[in-house]
Amino acid sequence: MTTATRAPSGQAWADAFTEANNTDPEIQAHGRYFTCSYLLDATERSYVIQVASGKVVGVAVDPGPLDVPYQFAIRAGVDTWRGFGEAVPAPMYHGIWAASFQLDMRLEGDVLVLMQNLRCLTRQIELLRVVGSPV
Amino acid sequence: MSRISPVTGHYVTIDVDGLEYKVFYLENGTGQPLVCQHTAGCHNHQWRGLLEDEEITSRYRVIAYDLPRHGKSDPPENTEWWKEEYRLTADHYVNFIVALCDALELDDPLFMGSSFGGNVALQLALRHPDRFGGVLSVEGADYSPGFYLDWWQHPHANAAQVCASGVWDLMAPQSPESDRWKTWFYYSQGSEAFKGDLYFYSVDHDLRGRLGDIDGDRCPVVMLTGEYDYLTTPEDSARTAGAIKNGRFITMPEIGHFPMSENHERFRVHLLEALDILQSAGARS
Repeated sequence: MTTATRAPSGQAWADAFTEANNTDPEIQAHGRYFTCSYLLDATERSYVIQVASGKVVGVAVDPGPLDVPYQFAIRAGVDTWRGFGEAVPAPMYHGIWAASFQLDMRLEGDVLVLMQNLRCLTRQIELLRVVGSPV
Repeated sequence: MSRISPVTGHYVTIDVDGLEYKVFYLENGTGQPLVCQHTAGCHNHQWRGLLEDEEITSRYRVIAYDLPRHGKSDPPENTEWWKEEYRLTADHYVNFIVALCDALELDDPLFMGSSFGGNVALQLALRHPDRFGGVLSVEGADYSPGFYLDWWQHPHANAAQVCASGVWDLMAPQSPESDRWKTWFYYSQGSEAFKGDLYFYSVDHDLRGRLGDIDGDRCPVVMLTGEYDYLTTPEDSARTAGAIKNGRFITMPEIGHFPMSENHERFRVHLLEALDILQSAGARS
């Protein structure tokens, strides 16, 4: 995956992601109970994303080991996340289930929380197709 | 001008392994029967595009049924099914399909199924090669482990949404959004059956080492798989078809695990090719 867009900085990506989420009609229509925090681990960058009632209320960029708690983690290598950042992802870069079954993505921590929020989380991760790769 | 569809619905009562089922099916068209099985945890609306595809219904009698416990086909009429865990076995699944074809008095039907329907298509070709004119295995393989998961019925999560969004990634981003959301909507309705269906899909269906026993001359097999399918990849289906006598494989670009439901317009191009292959094979035998 060599043609993906890259955010100019972690903070710029976090800002764009927050804006995209908080104005997304689908998440805002169905996210009343979408409340959780998770680590998006992109190997060379990481983010702890905090969501409350469908709004991204905080993004910690490259937090230290004990800086910010989170409930579950989505981990993958740089190439995988850059595939997610394509407008039309190639096969297996098109979702967290696909990338977990076929690529190097790992879903860790309290996966029950992930499942409880699966509908909106799925949409949220798809926003990378607009926002671009987190790394 | 009337907007009534030519598709009609019927119920037929059949007995399978001592169980009585009242089975709902949709049909349209005339010609050789084309019997269609939906995917696990879903129902026959997945075939809505095919059922109204005049190029196909002018040549085939398309029959899309709801497997018992799905859509409008209830669980068995004559047992206390609520006292048992539902786990679909290969034996029962195969016996059901043959019993349904017998009850409808279908002569030389073609069978087409997707996902767990694609897998049972291979079981039919193995066990009943003379009952079917050929099978189309869509998104099928000899073995498909990994999806018999407790998450589909976890009481602490919204099972409807877990099932529906859990299969969302099985569809291609190129497929029309409205069709993907219809498929999602169907999946939000079937969580109670989904896990039990997947017992067949990921556990009881295992034809590794047995594909050589499928006689592709007596029952021609064509397999079709979309490149966005992360469960049964094109490589899995190609490997499977390659081990079946005269087995054929068609890869479908820019489509996923629910071809007929997520993008019928793209799927039909490959389906027409597959039907032509079956007709040619039938003419030779």
